[in-house]
Amino acid sequence: MGNELLRVENLTKRFGGLCAVDCFCGTLEANQIKGIIGPNGAGKTTILNMISGVYPPTTGQIFYKDQDITKFQPHKINHLGIARTFQNIRLFQNMTVLETVKTAYSWRAPYSAIETLFSSPRVQKFEREIEEKSMHFIDMVNLKDCAKSNAQSLPYGLQRRVEIARALASEPTVLLLDEPGAGLNQTEVRDLVELIRRLFIDLSLSILLIDHRMDVIMQLCEWIYVQDFGECISQGTPEQIQNDPIVIKAYLGEEINNA
Amino acid sequence: MDFYIVVGIGIAANSIAVLGTFMLTGMNGLFSLGQAAFMGLGAYISAILVVNVGLPFAVAILISMLICSALAFLVGLASLRIRQDFFALVTFGFGQAVIAFFQEYVSVTGGALGFSNIPNLTTPTLAFVSLAVGIFLVWGFRRSHFLRDSLAIRSNELAAKVAGINVFKHKMIVFIIAAALTAYAGSLMAFHTRYVEPKMYGWITTVTWIIIVFFGGRDSLTGTMVGSILLLMAPELLRFTTAYRIILYCAIILIIINVRPKGLFGTWELSIKPLLRLFKRKKQEVS
Repeated sequence: MGNELLRVENLTKRFGGLCAVDCFCGTLEANQIKGIIGPNGAGKTTILNMISGVYPPTTGQIFYKDQDITKFQPHKINHLGIARTFQNIRLFQNMTVLETVKTAYSWRAPYSAIETLFSSPRVQKFEREIEEKSMHFIDMVNLKDCAKSNAQSLPYGLQRRVEIARALASEPTVLLLDEPGAGLNQTEVRDLVELIRRLFIDLSLSILLIDHRMDVIMQLCEWIYVQDFGECISQGTPEQIQNDPIVIKAYLGEEINNA
Repeated sequence: MDFYIVVGIGIAANSIAVLGTFMLTGMNGLFSLGQAAFMGLGAYISAILVVNVGLPFAVAILISMLICSALAFLVGLASLRIRQDFFALVTFGFGQAVIAFFQEYVSVTGGALGFSNIPNLTTPTLAFVSLAVGIFLVWGFRRSHFLRDSLAIRSNELAAKVAGINVFKHKMIVFIIAAALTAYAGSLMAFHTRYVEPKMYGWITTVTWIIIVFFGGRDSLTGTMVGSILLLMAPELLRFTTAYRIILYCAIILIIINVRPKGLFGTWELSIKPLLRLFKRKKQEVS
């Protein structure tokens, strides 16, 4: 497969005696939305944390465009083109939405610390450039009116959008979304699904989505991995997953035949 | 020399060190408890180079700053990857080790008796211009992405990393700049007081700077500088209260921190823009 972006092989994470993820294998191709579902504690977020470099896998390897990125630091992985959001929103204190989004551009700054000390004109030129770019992404997630307000004072649903805007400002190829629907009500979830679909088309992203809510995943994903107790118990298209007896068993429990 | 000018030079030189602490502890939340050791190193190295080696003042200052930057790099290498509370411990240990070195290496440093006969080369002009330049440098630093990165790292290190910020490199840059500023302040002080001794550079000095930063406002450069001038002047102003002045000093700090938890100035910054705007409007009115 030529346009394969992300490939993980036998990814395993053990926390002491607990095996959070056991031998997860998967791929993500260009312009594809894939999802990982599973009940709480199934190891979904752990997989995402390993891909984004938050912690190293116990064993296994991660490849991005055929480059082994298993041992890379989180910022390095971001520079390569993999951005992510968090399930428990992680914004910065006392920062406006615009400033929060701008942080994603810091590493691209063309000047050194010494130049900032002497107020090189390049600093302000760069600031103006990224202000424009950041506003573009803020507009994309429909937050233009809140650009100057404190990010942490916004309602929960909008805070999630700020996180998505920050991730987009990294100008990634792959976007990892960790339970974007968590804590949102029905209308907010509908808007979010709409937003993700639009971003996917407009920015030609590849998205790996995690959620334990069937509705979000089923509406968006082309291919789904099902995790349960750290193991990948099934994978397939939404239709296949919905009719897979193993998945139904994991989610709803076993049918009692001899009642 | 006029008493006020003498006091003023001391305040100006110390304020440069406070600038370093402002960058490190105020902006980045890194509690270096051995920051005064860099001042001591700056003071001793430049004093020894001028008095014993006979190098020119400016060259001696430059060398002391370079040595302190290199040391900051080494200390940072060992301490900036670990958690922030451990960073405080490592820097505390470093500070105490440096002081022990000053005390024990008697043949060069004069030991506990101190190092004297330093010429008085810190003129009032040099001190005040240095402070102005120091403020200008930190101001420029804060107008770049480094301010955002600092605040981001301070409030959520993991999110900052994932947003592509090289946290370790950022902290290293800040630590080195802070060390260089503090070393420079140390040189100025040494050639002002004309005498240095190890106990001037203990953790109490470091903590005084940290108190100043939080007193003035960790998010305000203006506040920190005003706080620095006020608190460094306070021991002199409160001299009439004699033995009670330490108690009074502490009481003032406690009141301010309780009444204004974000510091005297909060996030307010002195800005010349409103003044310029006012000036422009007047011009238009005239024309």
